[in-house]
This record gives sequence, structure tokens and C-alpha cells, in this order.
Amino acid sequence: MTPILQQFIAESRDFLQNISRKLLNLENAPDDVELMSDLFRSVHTLKGNSGLFEFPEMSRVLHAAEDLMSVVRDDRLAYSQDLADRLFDAMDFVSLLLDEIEATGQSAATHAPASVQIADTLRRLIPVAATEEASAPSPAGDHTAATEGSIAAAVTALLESIPAAQIAAWREESQSGATFFAILYAPEPDCFFKGEDPFFQARQTPDLVWQAVASTAAADALAALDPYRCTLRFSLVSRAPRAALDAHFRYVPEQILITPLATAEWSPPPAPSQSTAPRAVTSGVAEEILRTQLAILALPNEVDWLKGRLLGVARTIAAALTSMGRSALIADLGAARDAAVAQGAAAPLHSWLAGKLEPASAPPVAQSKAAADSEAKAVRRAEEGNSPKTLKVDQDKIDRLMNLIGEMVVAKNSLPFLAGRAETVFGARELSREIKSQYAVISRIAMEMQDTIMQVRMLPVSFVFQRFPRLVRDISRKLGKEVNLVLEGENTEADKNIIESLADPLIHIVRNSLDHGIESPEVRRAAGKPAEGRLVIRAIQEADRVLIDISDDGKGIDPAVIKRKAYENGVIDEAALDRITDQEAVNLIFAAGLSTAEVVSDLSGRGVGMDVVRAAVNQVNGTVTVESTPGAGTRIRLSLPLSMAVTNVMVIESDKQIYGVPMDAVLETVRVPRANIRSIKNRQTTVLRNRLMPLRSLNELLANSAPQAANEDDELAMLVMQIHGEQIGIMVDDFREVIDIILKPMSGILASLSTYAGSALLGDGSVLMVLNPKELVTWQ
Amino acid sequence: MAITYKKTVAMFADVVSIEEAEGLLQWALKHPQGKVNLAACTHLHAADLQVLLASRLPVSAWPRDAQLKAWLTSALQDSKETTHG
Repeated sequence: MTPILQQFIAESRDFLQNISRKLLNLENAPDDVELMSDLFRSVHTLKGNSGLFEFPEMSRVLHAAEDLMSVVRDDRLAYSQDLADRLFDAMDFVSLLLDEIEATGQSAATHAPASVQIADTLRRLIPVAATEEASAPSPAGDHTAATEGSIAAAVTALLESIPAAQIAAWREESQSGATFFAILYAPEPDCFFKGEDPFFQARQTPDLVWQAVASTAAADALAALDPYRCTLRFSLVSRAPRAALDAHFRYVPEQILITPLATAEWSPPPAPSQSTAPRAVTSGVAEEILRTQLAILALPNEVDWLKGRLLGVARTIAAALTSMGRSALIADLGAARDAAVAQGAAAPLHSWLAGKLEPASAPPVAQSKAAADSEAKAVRRAEEGNSPKTLKVDQDKIDRLMNLIGEMVVAKNSLPFLAGRAETVFGARELSREIKSQYAVISRIAMEMQDTIMQVRMLPVSFVFQRFPRLVRDISRKLGKEVNLVLEGENTEADKNIIESLADPLIHIVRNSLDHGIESPEVRRAAGKPAEGRLVIRAIQEADRVLIDISDDGKGIDPAVIKRKAYENGVIDEAALDRITDQEAVNLIFAAGLSTAEVVSDLSGRGVGMDVVRAAVNQVNGTVTVESTPGAGTRIRLSLPLSMAVTNVMVIESDKQIYGVPMDAVLETVRVPRANIRSIKNRQTTVLRNRLMPLRSLNELLANSAPQAANEDDELAMLVMQIHGEQIGIMVDDFREVIDIILKPMSGILASLSTYAGSALLGDGSVLMVLNPKELVTWQ
Repeated sequence: MAITYKKTVAMFADVVSIEEAEGLLQWALKHPQGKVNLAACTHLHAADLQVLLASRLPVSAWPRDAQLKAWLTSALQDSKETTHG
């Protein structure tokens, strides 16, 4: 099942629920125009959605419901209880189809007759005057309105036109269990304009054994003939099963009429008990006979003539079934009869007949079995109600749940403090150990809960990706470029907030790639590349991060151009122009106020874009990097956390204050002897594993004049961090533990302090300020 | 061209589409004594069929396609009989 179908099913269920609720509300306020319009819209949308798929039965019923609703909405028909009942029936039918679609992925053609019947009932409610004005007049063909008498006449006429020898052959065959159906097919007059070819449709009827075609046009008016108004009437006889015929004509069920050719119509009933009955027994009479047989079978078994009675009853039932056109059941009946005779009891035959009679007790038309089945199901539906497998939960509730689990993670962090106090203050070592073991248990459960809640918030990246095919197509058309978009890893999941924050940056990047990256077909051909450019958007999960690569095979980024532009726009000064490396130059595309496009278009080139991308990605704690080979293409990689709920931070101490540093920025912690720290041009540096490492003191960065304190061995604590792709050492006073915290962003006046990523509450009740290393260092 | 119009015969070939219906009707009106040759025809659109039914042009050759022949003989022969009778 495709995702779009799943979505359709889920949405349709919502709509159905909505429609039911509105219908019920309308019962209390039948004059509420607003409610009526709402109802109309829901049905209209549902119909439109169903049209996306091959569910003609569903669309047909919904279309009729929509027509009816539009008449009510326009005040041409008053809302009534009867109308509501019909609509409820129709919606139950749609719901039934949905169940089937969900179970099997498709809707069976066997529902076509039922759908026609329901659509017809709905349309019959529309007043005649309204029908003429309605946008879609009732398409019910001549046959639908035909009474049973005229159907019989038509069938008789059909039989008369068939040679007697042919009928004799069928009769023989039908004795061995075959069923023949007469099909009357009256295409609607304007069917040619819908691209239909009724003749072809009729020719393709499965297992056709007899065919005739006639025209209803006036016989001597050739000149007046409109060849594009269909006047043909087809009469067919087929030996295919009913379901196959329904399936074949499933798009035009209101134009056809299928009746079983009862053998009674061409042969005397075989059973002696029936010999005096009229040749064509109506189903009602036959059913009466069957009920009588049921009563006979219920009589006590203890009689000498039981066997004779059973055989007699069986023969009567067979005759009755034949006249009802259900001779297919006779073989079944024979088995039940043999079982009954063998057991010397009526029970097998009785239960067989009882089972067959029950569904047939509904309207005695041959079609009634399917209709009755669906009706029974519909009644059941009203009782059991829908039990959807997916829950729709307000995001606020999930957020609240997440906050709560966050608090819990923090609260559990206080247990180790408690254990520590139990041991040091109260000297209860045993108690301390027990608290610690309990802590382990709570910790495990909290972790699992947290994971589960995260899972709830997870969305696949396809949520964002799905808009790209259209976007790329539109933009590339506009730019006159040929682009082949490849999406990979659409099922990769990440937190809802992360996914949502991705949308804008991705659109910017894709636009840039199309506008600046991929060249026009002529340029590409001249450069020896295929005319069609290739844009790949790939999502992969790597540990606890999602990586999104957007790569194109365009012209790449020319560092020289960037440098010049950056200099022209005042992004870098002259000194920097000579100094920066090519990679650094490429990274300048993320600087504010830089655009490399010669012409400002409505797509990109206004100098905003890549800096917006970086800001948006930073916001959710992600990073963005760019790699480019001139002439061969560009790859932009977004690296985002899977989830932003719980942050892993290292607690550090500086000037008797504690701070948190996000662990994903920390590469390693080292203690550097003070003697190894050298000053180069007033900047402190050290050598770590043969690499020169610039150093910063945290106190200095925070504008605190106190010097960093060293430990007893005169070593300074150094955090090696990765900031903007560079390694830098941050000197602090001491390292503490690594903890999980719920990071609360700074709010109010404090929000402008970009050096802090936020604050968090610790287990002992104190507040931990969490540093934002990226801002901290560039701030200098 | 799926229908080739000769002096007195309209030759049907392969699949005759709905576009031919109008032309066939005009031809039938102009040539009341015309005949149709369906030998090479495999299918004709319902619109063409109803023109044939209405015009009652005699068939000089029935389709080689057995199924189509069965359809057309029942439909066109009947109408011819009514003409004579």
C-alpha cells in the first residue's frame, strides 16, 4: 500500500467521522446554514480525494451525496430525517469500502450494484425541478427506472431472438450447474464524449455466448442522424460469473442490467411437486416454499419414512432454487442431502437450508444478496464504531509529555546527590548503596520512556522531501534547465521540530543549486557533461545525528569569484583576500550579504540565503558544511541532531562557577602543564600531539579578569572543541561530570545573551548555565 | 485512413475510429446504392456501428474476424430483413 493511500484512508476516516457528527448536529439544528455548508465541503473533499484512486464505487456514492447536499444547501430541499438516514447509509457504505481498501489495498467490483443502488436512493431524494438545474443530472439510464415487468419483457424478447437450438444447448449446460446471465446494456447518449466505445466494451464482455445490438434511432431518418449521440442498445448473454460481469461493467453500472437467465424460463421445473406451479415462479413464492421445507425438516426424525421425506424435501428445495436462479447451490444441496440420509437425521439439511435462507430474506431481487451482506455489515458498523489504529494527538500534549519526562530525568539526577549525602552526612553506607541501585532502575525506565516519547515525535524526512519534485520541476522549467532530482533515504526519521526546521534551509539550498550550480543544457554539453543535471538529496542517519546531503553535478563554486565578491561586498578586507584558503573562501557563501549570481532573480541572488540557512541550522543545534570542486559540483551537508529534547552536557568549573558545555562540541579534555603554554603575538597557544592549538581562557571570554586556576601539579584544564570546523582549546579551572539536561532557551531580556545556549535545573536545585561555544568564540 | 471510399464501396480496414462516423454518414447519404466491405475490419467504433445500422447499406463482404462477424451479422442482417420485409 502506498503512503498516499494510507493517508487517504486515515483522512477519509476523519472526514466520515466529521460528516457523521455534522449530520447529528443538523438533526438538532436543521436550519443551520453554516453547518450545512461545512457538511457539503467535507463530502465534496472526500469525493475529490476518492477520485485520485480507482474506487469508482466510492466516488459514485459520494458524488450522489454531494449532489443531494448541494440541493439542500441551496434551499431547494428541506433537511429531513429520511435524508439524514440515507446519508448515514451512504457514509456507512463508504466506510465499508474503506475497510476493504485498508485490508486488501483495493475495492472490489462486487460493490458496484450496491453503490448504484445507494447513489440512486440519494438521487431520488432530489426534487425533479432541482435535478434539471443541478450540475450533474441523474445519469440513471432507462433500465434503472424500468420495472421488473419490463425487465422480464426485455429478457423474453431477447430469448425469442435466440435460435431454439442455441437455447437447448444452454439448457443442457445449465443442468450441470452453469449459470447464464442476460445483460442489457444501454450506453448513455453522450457516452462518446467521455471517450467510451460501448461496442468495444460489449465485445470484451467475458465469456460471451450470445450478442445482439440494435438502435433506438428512428428508422427512416438517416439524414437527421447524429452519429455522436449513442442510440445503441446491446443485449448480451454471458456464462461468466456475476462478479466478473460486475467488474467488467464497473464504470457504467447504472447503464447496465444483469439478470440471471433462470432455467425455469425455458424448461419445465424438474421436481414433481412443482409441476402444477406457473412456469416462472417469483422469488417470493419460492422463498415461501423454502421456509415450508425448513419447517418440515424441523419435524421429529423418529418416523419410518424419514429417508423418503428427506429426499422429497431436497428435490423441492432444488426446484425452488432453480426457479430463483440460484441453481449454483444445487451441488451443495446434494452434499447436505447425502449427509442427512447417511445420518438418518434431518439436521444437516436443516442447518444448510437455514444458513442459505437467512441472507435471502432481504429484498427478493437476485442482487439482494450482496446488498443484504453490506447492509448487515453497515448495521454492525454503527454498533461497534470505528477503531482506528492510529491516534491523532495534539502536539501540545506530546510536548507536555516530553517536558515531564525531561523533569523526571532531572529529578532522577538528584538521587546520586542523595546517596552521597546519606553516606557522607549520615554515615549510612548501606542506604547509600540501595539508593544507588534504585537509581539505576529508575534511570533505565526513564531512558526507555524518553526513547518512546522521542519515537512518537519522530517524522520521516519525506515530510519535507515530498515537496521537492514539484519545486525542482517548476524552478528548472523557469530557468530552462534540465534537472533529474534523486531523493534518497526518505524514511530516515528525526524529531518533528528538526524536520520542520529543515524545510526552509533545504528550499534555499535547492534553489541555489538550481540557479547557481547546475548549468543550462548548452553549457553542460559544451563542458562534456550530460545535458540533464543531477541533483541528489540524501538523508542518512549517523549515530545520533541526521545527515542531509544536497549534491549537484553543476559548475561548483569558484573560490576566486567568491573572494572577489566577498571583498566587493565588504565581507572580507584586503588582507584577508590574500590570506584565506580556497576552502575558507567557499565557506564564505554562508556569510551574510554575499551573492555570486550576476543577476538578481526572483529565485535567489539577493544576498540572503546561505546565511539564513546557517542561522536556521544553528538554531536546532546543527551544522552545515560545504564542499565544492569547480566544474564537478557542490555538496552541502547538513548535520542535525535526531532530537533536541535532552542535551548531553559536560559540567565545567571556572572561577568557582559551574557551566555546562554541550558534549557534541567537546572533542577531548586534556590537562596541559602551564610550562607548555606559550604566547605567540599576545595569543596563548600550546602544542597538542604535534599540532599547534590556539588557546582561549574561559574567564577571558566571559569578560572575567580572574586568571584560570591550575591544579596541584600546575596543570591547566583544557577542553578541546570543534568550532566552525576548527579546533580550539578552551582553558577552564576544572572538569566535572557529564549529565543529561533539559535545555531551556534563555527568555526575555536574557535571550539576547547569545553566549549562552540556555539554562538547566540540576538535581540539587541549582541552575546550570549552558554555554554556546560557537557564539562564545566568534564573539571575540 | 481506416475507410477507403471507392465508387460504390466503402472499404473498412483495421480499427475504424469514431472520427470516421461523420464521413461515413455523409457518404451513405450521397450513395444510397453503396455497399460496405468489412473484410479487413477488426473493430469499428460504436458510432460507426450505429451509422451502419441506420443507413442499412448492404454488406458486400463480412469481416474475417470471427467475433466481429458474429456481432455484425446478427445486427446488420436483421436490419436488412426488415428493409425487405
